[in-house]
Amino acid sequence: MFPAPIREYHRPSSIAEALSVIAREDVGEAIFLAGGQSAMQAIKSRMLQPDCIIDLQAVDAIRGIRQADGALEIGAMTRYVDIAENVALDGPFAALRDAASHIGDRQVRNRGTIGGSLCWNYVAACMPTVVLGLGGVCHLVSLKGERSVPADDFFLGPLTTAREDGELLSAIRFAVPVKRSGSAYRKWGLVTDALPVVGVCVNVSLSGDGRCTAARVSLTGLPDGAQRSTSAEDALLNSDCAPEVLRSAMNAAADSVDAQSDGSASADYRRQLIRTLGAEVAQLAVDRAKR
Amino acid sequence: MKTITVTVNGAVYEETVSERMLLVDFLREQLALTGTHVGCTYEGVCGACTICLDGEAVKSCLMLAVQADGHSITTVEGLAGDKLTPLQQAFIENHGLQCGFCTSGILMNMSEFLEKNPNPSDDDIRHGLIGNLCRCTGYVHIVKAVRAAAAVGR
Amino acid sequence: MKKSPTKDSTKWFGARLPRKEDTRLVTGKGKYIADFVLPGMLHAVFVRSEVAHAHIRGIDTSEAEAMPGVVAVYTGESLKSQMKSMTQKVLIPNLPAQYPEYWALATGKVKYHGEPVALVVARDKYVAVDAAEAVAVDYEELPVITDAEVALKPGATVIHDDATSNEIFAMTFTGGDTIEAQNENDAEVDKIFREADVVVSERFKVHRTGVTPLEPRGALCDWSETDGLTAWITTQRPHIDRLALVDILDIPPEKVRVVTPRDMGGAFGIKAPFYRENVIIAHAARDLGRPVRWIESRYECQMNVGQERDQVNYMEIAASKDGELLAVRNRGIANVGVGLVGVYWGFVMPFLGAIELPNAYTWRKGDVKLHCAVTNKTSNTPSRAFGNYPTRFALERAIDMAARKIGMEPSEVRRKNLIPELPYTSVTNDFYDSGDFIKVWDNLMAQIDLAEFRKEQAAARKEGRYLGIGFACGVELSGVASELMVPMENQPGYGSATVRVEPRGALLIFCGDAPSGQGHETTTAQAAASVLGIDPGDVVTTTGDTGTTPFGSGSIGARYGAVGVSAVAKACEQIKAKMVRVLAHDMEIKAETKDFEFKNGEIVYLLDPSKRKAFKDVAERIIMSPINLPEGEDGGLETTAFFESDVPMICFNADCCILEVRPETSEWKIKRWVTSEDVGNVINPMVVDGQMHGAIVHGLSNAIFEEYVYDEQGQQLSADFENYKIATAADVPDFELTYASTPCPHTPLGTRGIGEGRPASVSGALTNALCDALEPFGVEITELPIRPDRLWKKVQEAKAG
Ligand SMILES: Cc1cc2nc3c(=O)[nH]c(=O)nc-3n(C[C@H](O)[C@@H](O)[C@@H](O)COP(=O)(O)OP(=O)(O)OC[C@H]3O[C@@H](n4cnc5c(N)ncnc54)[C@H](O)[C@@H]3O)c2cc1C
Ligand code: FES
Ligand code: FES
Repeated sequence: MFPAPIREYHRPSSIAEALSVIAREDVGEAIFLAGGQSAMQAIKSRMLQPDCIIDLQAVDAIRGIRQADGALEIGAMTRYVDIAENVALDGPFAALRDAASHIGDRQVRNRGTIGGSLCWNYVAACMPTVVLGLGGVCHLVSLKGERSVPADDFFLGPLTTAREDGELLSAIRFAVPVKRSGSAYRKWGLVTDALPVVGVCVNVSLSGDGRCTAARVSLTGLPDGAQRSTSAEDALLNSDCAPEVLRSAMNAAADSVDAQSDGSASADYRRQLIRTLGAEVAQLAVDRAKR
Repeated sequence: MKTITVTVNGAVYEETVSERMLLVDFLREQLALTGTHVGCTYEGVCGACTICLDGEAVKSCLMLAVQADGHSITTVEGLAGDKLTPLQQAFIENHGLQCGFCTSGILMNMSEFLEKNPNPSDDDIRHGLIGNLCRCTGYVHIVKAVRAAAAVGR
Repeated sequence: MKKSPTKDSTKWFGARLPRKEDTRLVTGKGKYIADFVLPGMLHAVFVRSEVAHAHIRGIDTSEAEAMPGVVAVYTGESLKSQMKSMTQKVLIPNLPAQYPEYWALATGKVKYHGEPVALVVARDKYVAVDAAEAVAVDYEELPVITDAEVALKPGATVIHDDATSNEIFAMTFTGGDTIEAQNENDAEVDKIFREADVVVSERFKVHRTGVTPLEPRGALCDWSETDGLTAWITTQRPHIDRLALVDILDIPPEKVRVVTPRDMGGAFGIKAPFYRENVIIAHAARDLGRPVRWIESRYECQMNVGQERDQVNYMEIAASKDGELLAVRNRGIANVGVGLVGVYWGFVMPFLGAIELPNAYTWRKGDVKLHCAVTNKTSNTPSRAFGNYPTRFALERAIDMAARKIGMEPSEVRRKNLIPELPYTSVTNDFYDSGDFIKVWDNLMAQIDLAEFRKEQAAARKEGRYLGIGFACGVELSGVASELMVPMENQPGYGSATVRVEPRGALLIFCGDAPSGQGHETTTAQAAASVLGIDPGDVVTTTGDTGTTPFGSGSIGARYGAVGVSAVAKACEQIKAKMVRVLAHDMEIKAETKDFEFKNGEIVYLLDPSKRKAFKDVAERIIMSPINLPEGEDGGLETTAFFESDVPMICFNADCCILEVRPETSEWKIKRWVTSEDVGNVINPMVVDGQMHGAIVHGLSNAIFEEYVYDEQGQQLSADFENYKIATAADVPDFELTYASTPCPHTPLGTRGIGEGRPASVSGALTNALCDALEPFGVEITELPIRPDRLWKKVQEAKAG
């Protein structure tokens, strides 16, 4: 299908310019367009019928991966391919690359952005889960000012986020964790690299003697979208992260979630995937932390 | 309506398009470059519309024509110069296509893929091809053709 | 194409010649339906039913009509006076069934989600979509039936007002033509079952799946008062479409020309029926006096066509304890959807599936019955492995289940019961002409070391790893002889070709069947060039244009390699004979065709090779200087040949799948997929390999990923590639193809038609391997699709006892 009529198209080159367009009163329904890998689907199917499109491609200030003030900052317009190919994102940030290198396909990765994925927050999506698992902080700017929203408060359920109309996501920041931290993400889909039927992200920090000092576990593919599993985190925290601990942590995660049955998998199978895939992901995160 | 300037296969076009026109329709209908195909409604899964935008493979059905303003595009028509590229040649020699509907998109994706991965394994190639569905070939000869083109490149 | 790589013309048949089609296709110069543009062309978009079953209370088109750029809006009632219904003789098989009357656009009622209700024609395709959205249809919803077994229950809502029940077709395929004979047969079958050592009795279910060519359908119609209608349609059978348009739109037959675009983006059966959309587009062009084009969206395509399989088989087989297969009994219940589709009516596929059910085995007796139910789903339309997919799955699974009960290797049971010698007539009266099943089977087994595998499997199990091996085979059609085509589709089964030698010696060939990626331009050239000893580069083939090609029933049922190429060869032989007559006359010798060799562009007198002449010179002589010809000979060098085999023909294949199942999640990985094929004489091995690869992946993708899903309200939930998943390159293995072919004795070049039925045996080999791997748990798969979650559930259930 084809988009409904669009009145205006803008391609600002600065944040200020982008914000001034979206704040205009006569603009009608205006949306930011990042990589378009979700928004264009919605526009073509006419689920979204924007009057005005503000294309963020030329806003260079919100693109790229950098270290800033002891944090890792990823600009909202950073594409999957740029994350996937950034070898510096290892250890504590490896989950970002795990996810980015298996989202959709090459063409999607050449276009889709981390910011777009977070703002869209599809019920079964990789990046929201990883950003939640890594405890990222979302930076939003609007004409009213700036604010920082931790991932825990940003994702409010499928297709909803804490971002308000007129706000632009500029970057996601991750505190650089202590040494001996590692993260990992894996998903299972019906065909290779498809949207996750189940996705699991595990992020752990270990003490010198191998005790788990911090743990975040997040899941996707469930009815509520990206979510943390505190039962898994509790099981990991202070443990020695031995294989059987990892398994029982993910068993706890599986037992505590609300899972759905659909054409891709039954609820029971989703839980089983959280157990098996989850244990593998946890092991990988622990191995990375030890490296 | 908006006037855009786009370089397509080396030629500069200045064209007026409606804001809602999809890039794939612009290429096919306004520039009569019908080698780029459409196999999806809205979903952008099949990959038949893949082109190279500033040298990178993207799906032209998930872009608006106005977004291409100021950019450079290569379509399947622009791949070969005086003679076919080794990849095109390899597709012919290895029977990497049957109906050919998926082929343009695959060639565009794989030409960029080979630039980035000059020495791919079969698994790499298969993984690289996920964004291109082919209903005819069962992929075997496509993988073989890409492998053969990579060997020529080396 | 440039000159062919090998110089020796005797090597062209069977050579891995690069395809003539490919240069244009790899440079983006192909011409598919959506690439055709005519001056003043308008764009058509259908309004389709949003509900599965309802009375249409009214359609408000006023808003749409008022939109700038909209040229016309048509609805079913407004068209009824301008055309006949779709229920025309040319589209009706000679089979006793109920054929409900229906019209190109829905009238009165809609009967499935996606049925065409109105057509919008506009100057711009974006505007046409805007206007289609503005058409308001008022529906009064009716009860929806999506399940075939529910549809057949007494008292079920009858979907078609002019039908007596939802069972539009039912038939017994065994025991003879009379009820008495059939009853007697059934009694004998009953007796075998009562006395058999081993009986397997199971309900096998195959889901709704089929084909999805990458290019959906489309039509471009142009009307002129003097010349009539020219219609470019994505069709496998332009000659049939032409007749249907003539009859339904009441246009004089000399004024309709149908052309299949030279390049078609796959078809696999969905472009074989005659569709209502074509009628409306043609009508709109005639009505508006302007070219009208309709390019189907993926969404419409998934909703309307490519859906097949959808069948429950209550299957029983009886076997002896030493592994002899004695009898098969099957009650097939096919969900044919709404059944409103020209030529096939939803039930012709399961009909053929029932005929071919016995497969390659020597059953003593069979009792095969089929019931076809209409439901509020879209019509079944043909899908590669036409009708066979559900029955092959059931039978090949049932054989493994029997083997397990007997305690014999499933491969041994198959080998023991393969038809040892052909020709053979099956218990369903299906005729298998030629081939050597045992040779094919033994070749397959020679590729794998079964004893070694069993050792490996046992060792792996001790480590908690689950390896499995599975087998299946399939007898498939190689063309469809008139004997079956006339009753089944009311069409001839012969192949046809016009071969024209042009004065400079090039060959122009015209075939009525329209290909969709199979490489006919190349294989035709190879076959013709090999007969006439000229270069395949000098042969050009035109396909699918009713204005220039002889009548053909279409590219269906693996016809081309069987009867199409045979017609080409036959025509070339006639050309050859004429050239020899003239040449011998000119050389003043008395000779027959066999005394001359056509080789490397020359015609050589074998008894005195100094007597030779260039092919092109003889051609020019006959065409341009038709003087001093032998008595009774005319000038010109062109002929049309029709080829009909005296018997129906088959091809045969066997599959072996070796895989490993991961016990925790029941995911599996195919480690080897080995095949053995009888494809007859091969024109181009590359093309044959390609057909096999595509077909096997098709079979796998159907079995695992693809499913057309409807909810209880009959809403289709899988009308895009996001929800209808197709195997990607990363989801399927490489294949080890091997060949153990027997030339077909009934075709001039020994060729067989291949590739159409090939996916049918795939699900059997896959699921048999999975069950073999999970044999310690006693898992038996009886339903498709098979996905890790379902398999895992079976393992859990088995473990729980
Ligand atoms: C074939 C295919 C396969 C896919 N597979 C996967 C997969 O495996 N896993 C997965 O997680 N996803 C998958 N996706 C979805 C994909 O990840 C998109 O969700 C993602 O690319 C969206 O980012 P985008 O840059 O394309 O955003 P867009 O589509 O441009 O925008 C998405 C939304 O975010 C808003 N937005 C974007 N950027 C900003 C910003 N900076 N500030 C405020 N609002 C903003 C837009 O207005 C829009 O509402 C797939 C998509 C396709 C087409
Ligand atoms: S048409 Fe663009 S991905 Fe299918
Ligand atoms: S060659 Fe037909 S879809 Fe790939």
